[in-house]
Amino acid sequence: MADAVIQVDHVTKRFAGHTAVHDLSLTVPGGGIFGLLGPNGAGKSTTIRMIMNILVPDEGRVTLFGQGATRDLSDRIGFLPEERGLYKKMQVFEHLVFLAETKGMARARAKERAGAWLERLGIADWRLKKVEDLSKGMQQKVQFAGTLLHDPQLVILDEPFSGLDPVNSQVMKDVVVELAREGRTVLFSTHIMEQAERMCDRLVIIARGRKLVDGTLAEVKGRAGGQHVALTFGDGTAALAAPVLADRALVRRLDDYGASAEVELAEGVPGQRLLQALVGQGVELRRFEMVEPSLQAIFVQLVGRDAATAPAREDGDA
Amino acid sequence: MHKVWAVIRREYLERVRTKAFVIGTFLFPLVLGLFWALPLLLARRDTGAKKVAVVDATTGGVGDRVVKALSEAVDDKGRNRYVLTVVPATGRVDAVRDSLVQRTGLSAKRAEGETFDGVLVLDDARLAEGKSLYLGTNVTSFADMRILDGQVERTIHRTRLLGLGIDSAQAAEALARVDLQTEKVNDGRRTGESGDAGFFLAYAMDFLLYMGLILYGMQVMGSIVEEKTTRIAEVLVSSLTPFQLMLGKVLGVGLVGLTQMGIWATTAMLLTSYATQMAAVFGMGDPTSGVKLPTVSPQLLVVFLLFFVLGFLLFASAYAAVGAMCNSTQETQQANTPVTMTIAVGFVLMFALLGEPNGTLARVLTFVPLVSPFVVPVRYSISPMPVLEVVGAALALVVGLVAITWVAARIYRIGILSYGKRPTLGELWRWVRTA
Repeated sequence: MADAVIQVDHVTKRFAGHTAVHDLSLTVPGGGIFGLLGPNGAGKSTTIRMIMNILVPDEGRVTLFGQGATRDLSDRIGFLPEERGLYKKMQVFEHLVFLAETKGMARARAKERAGAWLERLGIADWRLKKVEDLSKGMQQKVQFAGTLLHDPQLVILDEPFSGLDPVNSQVMKDVVVELAREGRTVLFSTHIMEQAERMCDRLVIIARGRKLVDGTLAEVKGRAGGQHVALTFGDGTAALAAPVLADRALVRRLDDYGASAEVELAEGVPGQRLLQALVGQGVELRRFEMVEPSLQAIFVQLVGRDAATAPAREDGDA
Repeated sequence: MHKVWAVIRREYLERVRTKAFVIGTFLFPLVLGLFWALPLLLARRDTGAKKVAVVDATTGGVGDRVVKALSEAVDDKGRNRYVLTVVPATGRVDAVRDSLVQRTGLSAKRAEGETFDGVLVLDDARLAEGKSLYLGTNVTSFADMRILDGQVERTIHRTRLLGLGIDSAQAAEALARVDLQTEKVNDGRRTGESGDAGFFLAYAMDFLLYMGLILYGMQVMGSIVEEKTTRIAEVLVSSLTPFQLMLGKVLGVGLVGLTQMGIWATTAMLLTSYATQMAAVFGMGDPTSGVKLPTVSPQLLVVFLLFFVLGFLLFASAYAAVGAMCNSTQETQQANTPVTMTIAVGFVLMFALLGEPNGTLARVLTFVPLVSPFVVPVRYSISPMPVLEVVGAALALVVGLVAITWVAARIYRIGILSYGKRPTLGELWRWVRTA
């Protein structure tokens, strides 16, 4: 893969008590949005830190833009760590200029860019305020701007949407999509599958430091197999469906949301049979649709057991 | 280098712009001056005449003469130093003494009848041994005791001379005071400075080094802990190497230190060179009359600055490592003890050097990097060292500096991203060894 922006080859990282990442390989091609998915404690942040060369892998190697060490390449990378942090006493504008300068940008250009980004994220009026006077959401925006100021080709975001309200989350999402549209590569980690499903072109799911599946969204879904049905129940009839859905002869796996459900049919069972059984029970159906499995369903199927036994503590990484 | 420069610039500007810097710059010399002046002012405070009971068990009028001398003693405002009560006590000295001691230093509540501040015991047996005895509340006052001691001693000497048949005019001549005047000789030339001035200079330099290293070293440490608590470290470490970051911080804070000291030094120079004029403005006499201020030769200044800068770099990186292994300011207060103690040892060494600035101990310590930032400037100020020795000491210090910085950078590199329990010594060693 000559055009791979990130190439992770058989990487292993051990900490004192446990192995955080085990023999992990992944390839992020140039352009598009790549999702790094996994439950808490899966090794997502550790993987990202190794990609950023903050941690050095015990085994294997990481290649960026076809080259080795990262710090020399850091000017081409924008990084938003999971632990957000800014100098509390600094002025917003000064702070952004400083962050751009640490990426090697000349001061004059840094000022220009900082102004432009504050404008774009709608916080230009706050440029002379101290960081500590800003709300948490605004601080996140400042940090986000700091990540993107130097116009990086590769943007790595660790849990970018955590702790954001829906409005700010939307603003960030728009920016991320815009970045990908401009031909940049975005890698972000999350454990929120709905978001990943809507945004990612490609993804990898890891749990307990090991890769479970990777590929494009369509590939991952195709590989999951099985017949999936999305159901939405009429008022007050959800309870009537329970015995049908609990029938292992009909339903292999159930993802119950109360008023709606996603089920995987048992092998060889046509959708018609389930419909008949439900109608026979007097269940009122507002939706009965044969669907592709949702990423959430695939994730739970792959990770379910692992997630329940995820290591309790992992040196502050997730 | 552009990146390091950005860190230096931020560190410098963010510090110099704070109120704390402005206040510290003005307040510190004031506080220092108070510390210096307060004990002197307190010691000079007018405490009034002391009520002293003299137990006189002497023969031949020795006691009378002492009493006469003491009753004539006056302070610098011409007031009597002592109010004396003489109790003749030949043969029963101890009993009289003890009864008087019971009336000495009583609290106001218990004070009925006559009370005393002290009891002076003079008896032949004791004087023959060359001793007199004073029991009192003010024995801890060096000034009081020196004056009392001198007066008693001179009177006794005079009595002895008279006893040998020398008349009182001759005795007075023999007992005329002789004060030792000192002047420092430097490299075969008289400097015109008194010994006190030389001591003052060495002490001032030593103190400045001590304060500077601790003050600014602690600032480096605090700034690194701040970076950890605000979690900005990870963002920065993805752009700069940990070493670049540490270097930027140490240099940035170092420049703040030089700025502050520069302001102090300039102020001090202006104050001393215009001291006469300023004193006149406030209607005082020339405060520097009779005192020749110590001169700071350009060579000494160079040596001082060189060793201050090298010493700062060494200790600041040690403080940086301490900051990186702690999670909060409270934790650093305990963890920095080894570094701060080492600096304190260097500071205290001066007193060992004053006696023998070119002795074996001094020569050896000159080449010990942890203390040479103190030893070399102090030695140089007392008596100039051979250039080769200074260069050698500087090289040794640079070697030590590189070693300490290397270790500190390795600890820093891992510590800055580690949270939770503080590392044990074993863990620190592992941090240093990991590639």
